[in-house]
Amino acid sequence: MSPHSASKREQARKLLNTELDDVKGKPLGEWWTRPVASATAVALSVTLVAGAGLGSNLYAQSSLPLSVASSTISSSVSSNPKDFVADITASSSEQNLSLQQLLDSTEPGDTLDLEAGTYAGNITISTPLHLRGNGEVIISGNGSGRVITVDAADVRLSGLTVQDSGIDLSVEDAGIFVTKNGINTHIHDNQLHNNLIGVYLKGARDALVENNQILGRSDLRMNERGNGIHLWNAPGSKIIGNEVRFGRDGIFVTTSKDNQFLNNQLSDLRFAIHYMYTNHSEVSGNFSSNNHIGYAIMYSHHLKVHDNVSEGDRDHGLMLNYTNQSHFQANRVGPTEQSQAGPEKCVFIYNANFNQLLDNDFERCHIGIHFTAGSQDNRVAGNTFVQNRTQVKYVGSRFLEWSNDDRGNYWSDNLGFDLNGDQISDRPYRPNDMVDQLVWRYPLSKLLLNSPAVELLRWSQSQFPAFYPGGITDSYPLMSQPTREHSSQ
Amino acid sequence: MSKDSKQTPTDKQPQKLAPTDAQTHEDSLIDVNRRSFLGGTATLAAGSALGGGVIGASLLPMDAEAATFSEVKPGKLDEYYGFWSSGQAGELRILGIPSMREMMRVPVFNRCSATGWGSTNESIKILTEGLLPETKEFLKDKGGMWQNGDLHHPHMSFTDGTYDGRYIFANDKANTRVCRIRCDVMKVDKIIEIPNASDIHGLRPQKYPRTGYVFANGEHRVPIPNDGSVLDDPSKYHAIFTAIDGDTMEIAWQVMVDGNLDNCDADYQGNYAISTCYNSEGGVTLPEMMSSEQDWAVVFDIKRIEKAVKKGDYKTINGVKVIDGRKGSRYTRYIPVSNSPHGCNTAPDGRHIVINGKLSPTVTVIDVNLLPDVFSDKIKPRDAVVAEPELGLGPLHTAFDGKGNAYTTLFLDSQMCMWNIDKALQAYKGKDVNPIIKKIDVQYQPGHNHSSMGETKEADGKWLVSLNKFSKDRYINVGPLKPENEQLIDIGGSVSVVHDGPTFAEPHDCIIVRADIVNPRSVWDRNDSMWEDARQWAKKDGVTLETDNKVIRDGNKVRVYMISVAPNFGLDKFTVKQGDEVTVIVTNVDQVDDLTHGFTMANYGVAMELGPQATASTTFKADRPGVHWYYCQWFCHALHMEMRGRMLVEPA
Repeated sequence: MSPHSASKREQARKLLNTELDDVKGKPLGEWWTRPVASATAVALSVTLVAGAGLGSNLYAQSSLPLSVASSTISSSVSSNPKDFVADITASSSEQNLSLQQLLDSTEPGDTLDLEAGTYAGNITISTPLHLRGNGEVIISGNGSGRVITVDAADVRLSGLTVQDSGIDLSVEDAGIFVTKNGINTHIHDNQLHNNLIGVYLKGARDALVENNQILGRSDLRMNERGNGIHLWNAPGSKIIGNEVRFGRDGIFVTTSKDNQFLNNQLSDLRFAIHYMYTNHSEVSGNFSSNNHIGYAIMYSHHLKVHDNVSEGDRDHGLMLNYTNQSHFQANRVGPTEQSQAGPEKCVFIYNANFNQLLDNDFERCHIGIHFTAGSQDNRVAGNTFVQNRTQVKYVGSRFLEWSNDDRGNYWSDNLGFDLNGDQISDRPYRPNDMVDQLVWRYPLSKLLLNSPAVELLRWSQSQFPAFYPGGITDSYPLMSQPTREHSSQ
Repeated sequence: MSKDSKQTPTDKQPQKLAPTDAQTHEDSLIDVNRRSFLGGTATLAAGSALGGGVIGASLLPMDAEAATFSEVKPGKLDEYYGFWSSGQAGELRILGIPSMREMMRVPVFNRCSATGWGSTNESIKILTEGLLPETKEFLKDKGGMWQNGDLHHPHMSFTDGTYDGRYIFANDKANTRVCRIRCDVMKVDKIIEIPNASDIHGLRPQKYPRTGYVFANGEHRVPIPNDGSVLDDPSKYHAIFTAIDGDTMEIAWQVMVDGNLDNCDADYQGNYAISTCYNSEGGVTLPEMMSSEQDWAVVFDIKRIEKAVKKGDYKTINGVKVIDGRKGSRYTRYIPVSNSPHGCNTAPDGRHIVINGKLSPTVTVIDVNLLPDVFSDKIKPRDAVVAEPELGLGPLHTAFDGKGNAYTTLFLDSQMCMWNIDKALQAYKGKDVNPIIKKIDVQYQPGHNHSSMGETKEADGKWLVSLNKFSKDRYINVGPLKPENEQLIDIGGSVSVVHDGPTFAEPHDCIIVRADIVNPRSVWDRNDSMWEDARQWAKKDGVTLETDNKVIRDGNKVRVYMISVAPNFGLDKFTVKQGDEVTVIVTNVDQVDDLTHGFTMANYGVAMELGPQATASTTFKADRPGVHWYYCQWFCHALHMEMRGRMLVEPA
């Protein structure tokens, strides 16, 4: 252990104790003058918990048989491996070094290889290094605090099983917690099990979280669970190819920008992606199933949301709420292969404006698209609406055209003809008139579409103007369902 | 509206067409046929008060929304008073429920051209006497008083857990004030500025044994003292919870807390008040305020705080006793809830308090019976949580029907979620039950909601109002500035929207009070304290307000006393000198209901309202020589136009 880091730690501990005394010791009469205000107190309480956990584990660890340590901890230094390896290995067996002590003794750029075994967590990484698991390397928080805190730039974590964080949401217990110093953190190919929050990027810019498996807690009540991957103010960070199950939300992001969430598998959660106040970002190629909501994309603009799948989610597959100037393309919402019905709403568009909604598939939901709150200037074309009980629920008083360059959408209940063979129905489609309901309820009635009864129904309805103003018209409904090449998930 | 007259789509009463007196029989027949034919569809059924659905109902099973009839016919009276805030318009409004007719506007923090609120001596006194000395100093060259206010939360005084019809209290978020409105005359009688706090937001009266305290949340953290020496040292920023004595309108005590204070409520036992906090971080930017995974609700132990005040465990700041309720204090407990909770609503069962999640799709239910154990540290604060149902996106406020159900506004889903409290408790214990009963679409984006008598132990489950923040396309276009949209929901029967009501900026909250509780006077009492100053001047000047018409000169100050009785003022002329300070004191001696007079001095910017048997006064400087007509601007009589007189201002 370098004297430098030792003295730093000593200093830190002193500071911590001073602050503790400061909080506890002052009689109430003097509280006014002490410079601890609420904001500081909050910050302090976080520090204290983390700090306390750190301390206790440090001492617990020294009694831990460093038979484990001596046999399993080795380190290699990429810059000058020989000197360092020799140095650390020796001292680790002699001095019963904990993982934390070992981390504190590294130099920037080191790679620390951990051999199989279980290591005590609640560690903080304050040096740019690569912590790498060889074989089954378990770092456990033993049910308290954050298992790994990354507090330095350019840290890489791979091949680790990070498990058993604390369960206190108020202090943000997590498997891997990356502070704002954790710029460019790379977390890949880890297993995160049984943590409250899996990975928390709290202010960390340009981090990459890739190919991890994150299995959250399902034993806690939903609202007391943490999110699989949680981002706050982490511009430029990317979340790619992870599998997230259980816990609360799969990926939760708020107050961020320039993020990418690609090709993640998200299931058995509340929301697959819970997305707020994050502009100029991409959500694509993700797969959501068995969640309350697939993609809740809210209060953001300039997004690319494409090629995502929602299968068998409960409430909404895709939800846009005050999402503006964004591109939603080739997403697919529907039931699973086993289940009969998709979510309550395939897509719910609420006060979302200036968007492109193109070439998406919405199938077998209670409501295909719920479109309301004066959502304006959206381009809706090339989508398929297949066997939704209500194809369109439109609440509004404006007249909207849903087609683009003489090309509309495919409606499974469209009874129109195509006499000129241009693949565009000869008659505009207006969703949810009487006939649509009939066809939904009795699909076979489509065979009767020339029948006098259906014609009478159509004609009768056309004679009665709607009670409410406004409505959706697709002037160029597609006659056949466009074929898609969905990426197999 | 009685229950009997409600109709559901299955009721077959097609011949009773609602407001269609002008329709011909033929029209009616066509109408009936059309509706019968299409009656199964949701929109159509909702659009008519009719049943129908003869063909459609069996063939096309739709979500037929029952259309309950909420019309109060001409000449009929409403069963409830609605007291409405107006947000940045600064006034209180009185509506009838269920008709949703707006009947009165009570100027509070605003200036009112009609009534002279803000220019009469009586209103100036109320608007200025409760200001802090430094605010008075600040306003000296700005007209002496605030010109705007932001009135969010009107709440009536309580006795034994229900409204008592005495007062309505409301906050001013813009200029950190609290007002009191006398329900006997529906006028403001007190406005106080709250020291140490910034921007009063949540406000609720003590429910038991009576009001008692009025609890007021200082929403924004500010440096104390806020003298300009601090900007970027958050440790010097604080949020302050205030208990005002509702009888005297003086501040009883304040509590300094961690985090900030959003909405609040009180229990039904008189032991606790509770506030939500969305900024536990103490942040000053949006990202900072959003950074925590959890915030909290802070609970105040009223009895402990009262003891602390008695034994002197406080610090006096700006003349107010301030108790330290920050974390670790014995006077408060902080219950962790998901990030950014908002509304705070005590259920009429007297036991459960609902904290609304806002950014979490859940509401958190706290059992007040567990709070003593929290304060004695037998259990952790979080252990007072007994339910946390997931209701939908953006839960902001919850109202109750008194039958065990709650109605929560979902801002993002734009819905009202009806759920059962008991089932939510069971679900929290692990039972597989769904507490959600129904979700109703509202247009658009509801903030507050309120049910009839819903914040009292007498919640009766008849009506629910959803105060929606956007009307968008619900009305014919009136330009870029659009009205808000208040929707009435019948919760006594069909649980559906029965009325859209546009309102001008911008009601945040309302209360719905049974009409028998509110008993205002029709005519002022001559002994009313409202014009006590005028009474004292008159006494000094040897004038009887009710009979005399006199001009009293006192140096360059002139007091003009007159009565008004339709269609005359007691003086048809009076003379002053240029530069005089003129006070006109008018007493309306008419005793007839609704015979309000006015006094407007043309080209002097002077106008005031004079209710029957009221005295009002106004003071101005007679800088402009000439003849100036004063007239009655409030229609009073067939000869209303003739009710006028002249002021001659002789050149100096």
